Amino acid sequence: MDTNQKLTSEFSLPEEYQVSDSIIAKRSSPMRWLVAHFKEYWHLGLYMVVGAIGNASLAAVVPMIIGMALNALLEEPPRTEILLRYALIIVGTQTVRGALQLGRNFSAEMLGQLMERDIRHELYTSLLGKSMTYHSLLPVGDVMARATNDVREINFMFSPGFNLVVGSANFIFMPILFSYQYHPSLIAAPLIFLLLYILALWQYLYELGPITDSVRKTFGTLNSRLAEAIDGIETVKGMAEEASEVELFASNARRFRDQEVHQGDVEARFLPLLVWGLVQAGGLFHAITLYQRGLLEIGDIAAYFGLLGLLGFPTFISLFAYSQVSLGIASSRRILELINRETELDQNQSGYQGVMKGKVHFDGVSYAYPDIDTSINDIDFSIQPGQTVAIVGQTGSGKTTLAKLVNRTYDALSGSIQIDDIDVKDWNLEVLRKQISIIEQDIFLFSDTIADNIAFGKPDANQEEIEQAAKSAQAHNFIQSFKDGYETMLGERGVNLSGGQRQRLALARAFLTDPRILILDDSTSSIDSATEDEIQKAIFEAAKGRTTIIITHRLSQIRWADYILVIRKGEIIARGRHEDLIQSSEAYSRLFKE
Amino acid sequence: MGFFSNLDIEAYDREYSDRDLLKRINLYLKPHIGRLVGISFLLVIIGASSASIPLLISTSLDRLTLNQDDSFIRLMIGLVLLAAIINWGGNWIRRRMTVRVVSDVVLTLRTDAFSSAASHDLSFYDKFSSGKVVSRITSDTREFGKLILLIADLGAQMVQAVLLGVVLARLEFRLFLYVLGFLPFVFFLAMGFRRIARKVTREGMQAMAKVNATIKETVSGIAVAKNFRQEPEIFADFDEANTESYGINLRRGFLLSLVFPVLNAVGGIGTAILVYAGGWSAAKGIVTIGSWYLFVVGLDRFFFPILNLASFWAQVQAGLASAERVYALIDAESAVVQTNNLVTDRITGRIEIADLNFRYTDNEWVFKDFNLTVEPGESVALVGHTGSGKSSIAKLIARFYEFQSGKFKIDNYDIRDLNLTSYRKQLGMISQTPFLFSGTVAENIQYACMDSSLEEMVSLANEIGEGEWLKTLPEGFNTEVGERGGHLSMGQRQLVALLRVLIQNPAIFILDEATASIDPFTERQIQQALDLILKDSTSILIAHRLSTVKSADRIIVLEEGKIIEEGTHDLLLKQAGYYSVLYNTYFRHQSLAYIEESGKLVD
Repeated sequence: MDTNQKLTSEFSLPEEYQVSDSIIAKRSSPMRWLVAHFKEYWHLGLYMVVGAIGNASLAAVVPMIIGMALNALLEEPPRTEILLRYALIIVGTQTVRGALQLGRNFSAEMLGQLMERDIRHELYTSLLGKSMTYHSLLPVGDVMARATNDVREINFMFSPGFNLVVGSANFIFMPILFSYQYHPSLIAAPLIFLLLYILALWQYLYELGPITDSVRKTFGTLNSRLAEAIDGIETVKGMAEEASEVELFASNARRFRDQEVHQGDVEARFLPLLVWGLVQAGGLFHAITLYQRGLLEIGDIAAYFGLLGLLGFPTFISLFAYSQVSLGIASSRRILELINRETELDQNQSGYQGVMKGKVHFDGVSYAYPDIDTSINDIDFSIQPGQTVAIVGQTGSGKTTLAKLVNRTYDALSGSIQIDDIDVKDWNLEVLRKQISIIEQDIFLFSDTIADNIAFGKPDANQEEIEQAAKSAQAHNFIQSFKDGYETMLGERGVNLSGGQRQRLALARAFLTDPRILILDDSTSSIDSATEDEIQKAIFEAAKGRTTIIITHRLSQIRWADYILVIRKGEIIARGRHEDLIQSSEAYSRLFKE
Repeated sequence: MGFFSNLDIEAYDREYSDRDLLKRINLYLKPHIGRLVGISFLLVIIGASSASIPLLISTSLDRLTLNQDDSFIRLMIGLVLLAAIINWGGNWIRRRMTVRVVSDVVLTLRTDAFSSAASHDLSFYDKFSSGKVVSRITSDTREFGKLILLIADLGAQMVQAVLLGVVLARLEFRLFLYVLGFLPFVFFLAMGFRRIARKVTREGMQAMAKVNATIKETVSGIAVAKNFRQEPEIFADFDEANTESYGINLRRGFLLSLVFPVLNAVGGIGTAILVYAGGWSAAKGIVTIGSWYLFVVGLDRFFFPILNLASFWAQVQAGLASAERVYALIDAESAVVQTNNLVTDRITGRIEIADLNFRYTDNEWVFKDFNLTVEPGESVALVGHTGSGKSSIAKLIARFYEFQSGKFKIDNYDIRDLNLTSYRKQLGMISQTPFLFSGTVAENIQYACMDSSLEEMVSLANEIGEGEWLKTLPEGFNTEVGERGGHLSMGQRQLVALLRVLIQNPAIFILDEATASIDPFTERQIQQALDLILKDSTSILIAHRLSTVKSADRIIVLEEGKIIEEGTHDLLLKQAGYYSVLYNTYFRHQSLAYIEESGKLVD
């Protein structure tokens, strides 16, 4: 599967940036994949464990020294001269403990940061390599959530997640280890703790799981309806439905409140806390009994009780630690899902590489999206080089899909698409795409200067060429109206352009790369006639001398196309020249009546 | 994890005084006074039981050194057991009570906040973005709830520390002073750490935001990058941001990793000094062995609350600021004031506006001495440039805004005398971006007319384009429209909104026509639906389409809040006045003549 993936990737990085094969091989399961990533930095994991063991054992030193000091003081006469030594031992061990704890924390932190960096890098390169089918099927928001939050969660899984798991586990074992020296039977209490603690925690999580889910769900309902009602406040008020919205909100909010209280009730009855308390009391009883039988000294009781006190840290923290780890694992599953989803197109490096003339032929083409209803069915048509074809139809009729099959954004499920009488699958993909330009409905501009946006497909274009392209696209005038002209920044920290302006910039891009086939998904509308003039001019200009497929709502583009396809529900219901259609199609001729 | 919480919080500008705010908060807490007293009582019990454990141990140790009084020792162990159970049980009950207080207070606050938000007029929403309003209703109320939790949790710790402190002070004053003297040191150390942590956290977040921005741009622009094969360039941008973020966040990680080790080492030094100094006191007989032990283990129990105290103030401030934002939402005053509460029968839809003066804020007047009368059943198209006052007329008729002076009559009623709910029930409105709620198409159509029947809907739907639009929906009336109608196309959303009005059969119809581009087939059907509504209602049309303008009985040409021309399309065009200029600016390209001519734009 991995070799296959390499072949089909649309983009591959120079050697030094590539993800190592050992990691790619482990992409089948989240755990194995995480382990493969971890292996690259296993020494950090080692430091973390060493630091954790040191930290916990030195923390256990304090109660033991206190016990020894107690014993020394109880001797007759008290051995006060040894107190200084004990004090110094505490200072010494706690300073070393601090250093070891820092080592543990920082190793975990570094591990987390490195994982985050590497996994984000891996995800990003994988995204770059995916086909456009892949990208057009995934909502941007979803991909973003995985690339940002989920990658972050993996960091948190190591720090504080694993850091605290390893840290608190040591705090559970140290009392067992160190109790033995006072009397072998004293390991009973910490052992019982371990057992009951696991049971209590398991029961707690088992009970809490479904409740947390329904809390999240009820909140989701509450929040999304609220956001809708506020966004649509004009509609709500215009229809005088405020009262029913308030009622709906109140009942959603109450449902959420009930779930939240339910969750709070389960959390309140946190049994591990009781277990800890009982074990402390039981341990104390045990130690005193041993003392009374002359098997322990008083200081040993104090030391032992102190050791049992160490169990408090895991009691409170491990829940948090485990949930961090399980969140991290869930996140890694989501990330892998994204990486592993296959990209269907193959590059066909050895494919045909000629100069395109621009003849397009569809022969019995069908396509359906995996999860969506829109599909196209058995489409036939031919476009001669240099012709302009207008595709008309309602939204969702399949117009856009049809156009996207031409440059293999999608591959047809059946039938064939030929360009210059060669099946698109037999073309070298790169050569094919370089000669076809698609201008999408949502025109994407980078947060960069206008000049760089126009020159995106031809980075070495000089200013003159850029301006010439902008002039042909009727964009020069509005670009000049900005203070910084072609150097105007676009996007978040720059100027926002109107739909018509964006479209003309996209057309300028196309003029610069001079494709043989231009596909224009045109859904802008102009408010005023002057802008409309400019857009029409730009489109007519762009269509000159190349094959143009235009999906449009503009009657004038339809009117003047060489050929018109009327699509309904994925099928061609009428086709021909304007003059013919106006005679033959009732629905079509109705469009041109006032 | 209290120490690291709310690191990203900055100071807020506050407008309410602490006193006012506390008064308001008090109002919400009052109904829960019984529970609050119970919680406070439990806090003391829990604090006492926690503090009693080291006390019991130290007493036992003392006893054990003296003699082997069995029954007393058994009593002590029994008390330790009891304290553990009380501690757990008390916490159980306390947390049950707390979650009820918090959830109920938040519920009341939320419901109040939303019903205020729903009652505010539109001038309020001009000032606050809807995202902000939503976050005040959900997040800010939640933050406020957290404040109550926080105070309760810290309260338990403080009670424990104070009780223990009293015992320690009475045992040996000088040793206690030493413990106290140690605390400010820990406190300021913790504060210092927080300050550094806040700074590096902010830097870390900025670096992260930069990486996320590059990813976002890639993901949304991937098609363009692929079309032009520019992947290496955008990869280089990403790689740089990713590496930089790693460096900055690692530095942050190092500083945060330092906190607990340093505090532990400092705590170790404190314990060591107590072991030494207390040991001498014990040897000299100033304190008992048990008390010495109590001091040594007690130090930790002061430590923890102090650490939490270091972050306490920032969290309280954040909670109060949230409360304030919610109250500001609730307190916002309504500009629209009704002077009476008339519930009318069906109105005929006559609109009479005379000598009207209106402005949105204290800026320029939108209307000065404006006059307009619309007869029942008449349809009027308003045309003019942006800012000429077209939509202001519509919004005033809907009574979304208050006007300053003049006469505004609906039938023979002063608009200010009407009961707004009953009046708006007779209005049909469609805003420029028609708004649908998640649910089915049928539910949306019935939004304002719950009692309308399915047959009614079907017959109306079939009057439009032979119901073809309905057939293109995957499940007809039962199609889910998605959030804000997102699963439907713009054209379909308009059709659903038009049907919603059609079924309502309003006396007055107000349309702010959409400017979005719609395929010509759907456009035809929209026109049909519109014609059906115009037949029966008084209509105010803010027209963007030539066909809508033409279908109106009267066109009113507005310029800077004044009517400068009125009449039918043909008449006005013939006059060759301002309307013909407007026509050339906005409508010419929609005419058939233009379409025929456009082929000659180039060549």
